[in-house]
Amino acid sequence: MLKKNDTINFVDFISHAKFDIPGGIHPRQYKSMSNQRAITSLAPAKEFFLAENAKPGNHGKRLVEIGDRVLAGQKIFESFIDQIENNTHSPYDGEVTEITHRKLGHASGLSMPGICISRISQNHTASLPPVKNWQQADPTDLIKRIHEAGIVGLGGAAFPTHVKLNSSEKKIETLIINAMECEPFITCDDVLIRERASEILQGSLITAQIVGASQIMIGIEDNKPEATNALAEQISKHLQQTRENNISSPKIQIIVAETKYPSGGEKQLIQLLTGQQVPQNKYPAALGILVQNIATLFAIYDAVCNGQTLTHRLVTLTGNLVEKPGNYWIAFGTPLSHIISKLGIPTNKISKIILGGPLMGTAIDKTSKECFSELNIPTQKSTNCIIFNSDKSDIMVSSPNDVHDACIRCGECEVVCPASLVPQQLYWFAKSEQWEKLEQNNLRDCIECGACSYVCPSQIPLVSYYRFAKSEIKHLKTRKKKSELAKQRFDNRESRLARIKTEREKKRKKTAEARMLTAANKNKDPDGKKSAIQAALQRVKDKKEEQS
Amino acid sequence: MKNSSPFIHDARSTSHIMRLVIFALLPGALAEIYFLGWGVLINIVLCSVYALSAEAFVLKLRDRPVKPTLSDNSALLTGILIALAIPPLLPWWMSLVGVWFAIIFAKQLYGGLGFNPFNPAMVGYVLLLISFPIEMTAWLPAAELAQQQPTLLQTIQLNFLGATSNGLSLHDFRLLADGYTMATPLDESKTAFSLGLMTTEITQDPRFSPNLSSWLGLNISFLIGGLYLLFNRIIHWQIPVSLLASLFLCASIFHTFDNELFLPGWIHLFTGATMVGAFFIATDPVSAATTPKGRLIYGASIGFFIVIIRLFGGYPDAVAFSVLLLNIATPTIDHYSKPKVYGTDDGGSKNA
Repeated sequence: MLKKNDTINFVDFISHAKFDIPGGIHPRQYKSMSNQRAITSLAPAKEFFLAENAKPGNHGKRLVEIGDRVLAGQKIFESFIDQIENNTHSPYDGEVTEITHRKLGHASGLSMPGICISRISQNHTASLPPVKNWQQADPTDLIKRIHEAGIVGLGGAAFPTHVKLNSSEKKIETLIINAMECEPFITCDDVLIRERASEILQGSLITAQIVGASQIMIGIEDNKPEATNALAEQISKHLQQTRENNISSPKIQIIVAETKYPSGGEKQLIQLLTGQQVPQNKYPAALGILVQNIATLFAIYDAVCNGQTLTHRLVTLTGNLVEKPGNYWIAFGTPLSHIISKLGIPTNKISKIILGGPLMGTAIDKTSKECFSELNIPTQKSTNCIIFNSDKSDIMVSSPNDVHDACIRCGECEVVCPASLVPQQLYWFAKSEQWEKLEQNNLRDCIECGACSYVCPSQIPLVSYYRFAKSEIKHLKTRKKKSELAKQRFDNRESRLARIKTEREKKRKKTAEARMLTAANKNKDPDGKKSAIQAALQRVKDKKEEQS
Repeated sequence: MKNSSPFIHDARSTSHIMRLVIFALLPGALAEIYFLGWGVLINIVLCSVYALSAEAFVLKLRDRPVKPTLSDNSALLTGILIALAIPPLLPWWMSLVGVWFAIIFAKQLYGGLGFNPFNPAMVGYVLLLISFPIEMTAWLPAAELAQQQPTLLQTIQLNFLGATSNGLSLHDFRLLADGYTMATPLDESKTAFSLGLMTTEITQDPRFSPNLSSWLGLNISFLIGGLYLLFNRIIHWQIPVSLLASLFLCASIFHTFDNELFLPGWIHLFTGATMVGAFFIATDPVSAATTPKGRLIYGASIGFFIVIIRLFGGYPDAVAFSVLLLNIATPTIDHYSKPKVYGTDDGGSKNA
């Protein structure tokens, strides 16, 4: 434990990772291309397309109609806090011009509904009141704020952050901060830490308070010494302050790990820092761990302390066609065509645009049919990097071949698989469509990092096979579920019909019996005359008795 | 599929790997030419041509692209491996039978590269060994022991016509200076043991040690090539290391048990096809076990069987038989040696 007057050394809270992950690859980094420049902002586009992020079965609703005026940071699509979806806000003052479907740069070419906003001014001021003194705030209020601001995981998966913070399977002890950024080319996290370390630390402390974590572990690769230093300075300042003012603070550690892909995967990072493995089919919360990306933490800080809704993010713009590769603040929904023209990239030279990194991103090819309309594709919350490459590229960014060589079972893929799967066996099973075998061989534990495809000497697009197999298995499962449901419905209907039939039968029997009974009674006194006479006699008799 | 990640690749391709393996065979091949004469070179040329022609022929029949498949170099490698495994003066048509059988039956009929359950080169070799046992064990003596060595021209004549122009046959070249016919050290010792001789008698025979040293040189040359493969990460360490360790250990156990009835472990390690088998044959990825643990089991079992067959079987050497035997077991080994998947306590196959 540190005493009050000890000076704080970096070595007190910086250490090297004690654990390792199996597998992994060391591709060329290409990071120095884009991490040498300070953060800049790109002049905003004229028009934005904001996807509604409404998956089937979701409950969110659109709050604006065509022609509506919207303000910067105004909520235009609302989600519910208990749903896996998130709010969307307008990045600038503007007008809703169109509500339509557009492609989002998904590998499948999927179109999504969304809202077109035409920008009126450059204004993008905060729209929510800042939370003063978050240290005293109620965690649920802070989660509400994070939901309100539309914050999602900015590491790439874009999973709504409020859902992650709300899941209370087990008490969270450790907040792990993912600053690994292990994919080549991408440097937005690196540069963000260099320039906004203090804000990121604040965001981490807010998050730790929300979940009640007693320790914060920051995982960072050893290729980011500047960022590590920036964080360390802020942490030492923070520790100094807490000690002087006698405030309790979570234990904070920076853990530097070897540069290796994919050590930034959530499960891999947990293993690297704690030596623990997330049990199969479980979330990190099962271990009392929450993992957040540093860009997300910055967004949390911004939402809580500045009242800023999430409308922009830092995006790495790089590739051999970008004259000044670097990191730019870009509003969500900015069309690629705008970025291309602002960067001055000649469209005819582009052979490939990659959204995300070269190992897990999606590509837009020159050979695609709708090349020019596709440049309409907007950036999204998950777009952390865009790579623009020409044909004559010294940078090796190649497409998987259409025809690949045969698998020779060399086993290189097994060596690099971080999940310790046997990729080549999964490939044989996927190719022969043996879905059950794939299930048995844990295909679901594949994180699609692409390390296996990267090393495959036969250049087999292994991940494509796995994605296909996964979707096929999912499809089969839903179909099975559906048919089971249908069968159940059919059985229910059959038994219901049978029940109604027997009930009706019973009823009919009953009425028939009753009818028989009255009929029998009627037979004894066919037209009821006898009883009528008797009744009359009785009445006379009664009267007489009264009179006497 | 084109727009599916990842978009970067390691530079090494399958054909490149095959090329490197062929390159790594160079020291061994050169040593074999040096110790056993021109016949080896002629065999390499012949078998390469046979292999490529067989592959092209079947690809044509199967209506598959010929050139891209040939350029993966796998057929070439099979041809060269067979060429290095057969005696230097084997008649041309026998090597043709072996190579064609290897490529057509052991490889292409199963579906080509990647689909063959057995090591094609070893299938071809074993077919020849069983069909032509005399020719397949007719090795030439080491150069310093030989009465006369065939020239390149004589070798060609022997190979294609069965005799040189001055009427010498293969038998004449196998004679030593004292009129004794020479076999490989393994063959030699096997015969000697069956005649009731002891280890000391065998090893003290003046003809034994020069003969052994040429095979030692041969094995060391293949070892050099094998280490090259190992350090360039073309093959994984598990198979060669476990194979050699188990072979040495098993042979040594027998030698310790009775040092007069069994040759010492180091002789087993450096004679016959041990090194070429450990680094070039057993490591054929297609037919070998692929999991790290599986490779250890696979290699160790091959080493064990090599010793057992060498000592107690009917054939002097046993690399081919052992490899083929373990090829059959590969799927089973792989199934039970799967690594522990992330987040599970076992291979995960039980809780599926």
